[in-house]
Amino acid sequence: MDYLLHILVMVALYAILAASYNLLIGFAGLFALSQAAFFGVGAYTTAILATKLGLAFPLPLLAGVLVAAAVGMVVALPALRIGGDHLVIVTLALQIIAIAIMVNWRSLTGGTDGIAGIPKVVLLGVRLDTPGRFLPLALTGAGLSLAVAWRLASSPFARAVRAMRENEAAAQAVGKNIVAVKLAVFAFSAGLAAIAGGLYAHYISFVSAETFTLDVTIYVLAMVILGGTGNLWGSVLGAVILTALPELLKFIALPPDIADKSRQVLYGLALIAMLLLRPQGLLPEIPTRRRRIFAAAAVPAPLGATGPADGAVTVAGTGLERRFDGIVAVSGLDIELRRGRIIGLIGPNGAGKTTAFNLMTGFLRPDSGNVRLHGTPLAGLRPHDIARLGMARSFQDLKLFAHMTVLDNVMVALPRQKGDSLRYVYFAPWIVAAEERANRGRALAVLDFVGLADKAGETAENLSYAEEKLLVIARLVATGAEVLLFDEPLSGLAPNTLEAIFPIIRRLAADGKTICIIEHNLDVIRGLCDTAIFLDEGRKLAEGAPDRLIADPALAARYFG
Amino acid sequence: MDLVAQLLVNGIVNGSHYALLGLGFGLIFGPTRITHFAYGPLYALSAYAAWTASVPLGLPIPAAAAVGIAAGALSGMIAYRALYRPFERRQSSGPVVLIASLGLFIVLQNAIGIAFGSDTKVVSRYSADVILLGDVVFTSVQLYQVAALAVIGALLALFLKRTDYGKALMAMTDNPEMARIIGIDTIKVSLLAFALGSAIAAVPAVLILLKEGATPYMGFTAVFMAFVAVVVGGIGSLRGAVIGGFALGIVENLGTWKIDTEWQSTIAFIVLFLVLLLKPRGLFGRAR
Repeated sequence: MDYLLHILVMVALYAILAASYNLLIGFAGLFALSQAAFFGVGAYTTAILATKLGLAFPLPLLAGVLVAAAVGMVVALPALRIGGDHLVIVTLALQIIAIAIMVNWRSLTGGTDGIAGIPKVVLLGVRLDTPGRFLPLALTGAGLSLAVAWRLASSPFARAVRAMRENEAAAQAVGKNIVAVKLAVFAFSAGLAAIAGGLYAHYISFVSAETFTLDVTIYVLAMVILGGTGNLWGSVLGAVILTALPELLKFIALPPDIADKSRQVLYGLALIAMLLLRPQGLLPEIPTRRRRIFAAAAVPAPLGATGPADGAVTVAGTGLERRFDGIVAVSGLDIELRRGRIIGLIGPNGAGKTTAFNLMTGFLRPDSGNVRLHGTPLAGLRPHDIARLGMARSFQDLKLFAHMTVLDNVMVALPRQKGDSLRYVYFAPWIVAAEERANRGRALAVLDFVGLADKAGETAENLSYAEEKLLVIARLVATGAEVLLFDEPLSGLAPNTLEAIFPIIRRLAADGKTICIIEHNLDVIRGLCDTAIFLDEGRKLAEGAPDRLIADPALAARYFG
Repeated sequence: MDLVAQLLVNGIVNGSHYALLGLGFGLIFGPTRITHFAYGPLYALSAYAAWTASVPLGLPIPAAAAVGIAAGALSGMIAYRALYRPFERRQSSGPVVLIASLGLFIVLQNAIGIAFGSDTKVVSRYSADVILLGDVVFTSVQLYQVAALAVIGALLALFLKRTDYGKALMAMTDNPEMARIIGIDTIKVSLLAFALGSAIAAVPAVLILLKEGATPYMGFTAVFMAFVAVVVGGIGSLRGAVIGGFALGIVENLGTWKIDTEWQSTIAFIVLFLVLLLKPRGLFGRAR
């Protein structure tokens, strides 16, 4: 009986580990290999504080959570800033260091002997010294951890995380600080893993380095993949199956060493088979399904005038210069954008139009020159800073969050959301809830403005091409930025659709937005823009009334040349 | 001073070892973009193949080394064909392939343990000569480790510059998409990268077998150090991988001058961390 209860306790602990790992790799799409190390940090911190300082449950466990989260942040920061494969190698290094410390720092960790005699938890006068007595605590711990993870996964913060996972550049363009988001998820996941570690230390009363090796990370990884990435219930299911199933192996008479290795072989094979046959796992991630969304009864004005459409200069770029491997992309570019005016950027392919946008919005650093927004220099600011300051851009290749709903695509872009902060998500949920209701109204109003309100519940990837273009506009407008840079917002659209979109952009300008449009279609430039700038080979060749530029035979020769 | 000279020599020897591991890993990663974790257990497999040829079968050591290298190349090609290629065909994302690679890692490492046992396998009839140069001591195996890097590095450079396959491999490292467009058979080149990379890894594996013996877990440190050498040197640069390997070996050994030896792996980590902080693209990485 105790044996069965012991397995249940282990299922509960592994469910915490699997859920914590799933938040990282499934929800945030960050691949790290240090989950066992954080499990160990939690266990060792608990063991040390409980044996050496005699602290009582739950203080050592909570300290373990903080230590793990702090270690995680310090180690992951440089890797997260670079992105790509670096997180894998850095977290692998962390795993090795963690084991080295456990084995070598004898005065603190007991070296290879580990730490024994960790006091059992005493709650309400009961010593939790049998699996049966510990089980309620383990289940409570798992339940709380899952609830905390669940809250994260269903908060506005998770929407930003999902957007980041779908497209990092687009998430930055709508003002999300993706390094901060990643760091928060990483620390969070490390802290949760440490809860499992603290409980483990109290339960077994003994910790040693062997329990926290890379094998454990792979074991938990197998649970996450089997259950389904991005689905917390999947992680619980994965923990149940992979904790219970190997116990059956015990009925086959094998030497313990061989049995253990065979178990590992099975995990590895299960992992590969799952990835080949059913990569989404047993319980796939629940997509933000199509929902029926009822327009909010009272729609607050979303687009009050930004300011007078008076033609005042809002953005000034001077002497912008950028080379790639010696090839000039933009050279000596001066550009001024004005409030209430629509300025078109035209020129042949490779003229440097998109590079100019990248330089203005912080996606690229100029080699020389500077950009000012209302006189404030933007040098050194990152894309999300610039978006928050009031200059946002769209992308030629749309970069919609394809697996999110139309409504979520717009809601994620709304500025200054308290729900993006974990502090508010956990400690002021009522504020977040009220803000969500208001934001939903604002997002629906923006969708209504571009004529997509009836598609709000649709998944973005199911939209028609014209609707996708409208959603790009809606998402850009939703940022609340006063300077809107559109990269080919109308390319590939039928003439009658164009006619429908013109008034939208004109209305934005009339409301005091500063607008710049990259466009190849000269009819659009002629029909929409107040001024046009002709770029070629990174240089500004002419600036003036669209009709005059288009009529210039020298420019026409270059353009169609 | 003698101690420093000795540590420097040890550093160069270990550096050559890491550099070879980094070369093999980088040669696979460059064109295929696969983070090949199973590189580790395949390295171990090569050592066990050489041990099997040499001890139970009694082949002479050069022949046993050849068996080890052949086993490495063959198993590398099988890993690509049987494991990675199916994922490529499904256009799986990088992390999915990496997880599959971890799966293979754990399967192979434990399968080796089941087949050969967990004890250290040594070639007891081989004993290395001890060479004394002034106050500095080293063994013939250590000399082979350095020589192996020099020979393999030179041959590889020639191969990559002079032969069509070598050029195709470099083209694919630069830009896999473009390589496909200009008609390079990327599957064949990937297969070649796996064969060559694994064969290169088999050389240090055999030398470590002669030096310290083989264990089922030897592959973990190997793939970790190879990976770190590549990241420190700069992803995509083979020259960087060699220099990254040397940097690791030398810093690790000079570090033991002041720090206890059990913290060696920690030193490698600190090097990695500093490089990522100061030069995020690695010492020879290309700006992207």
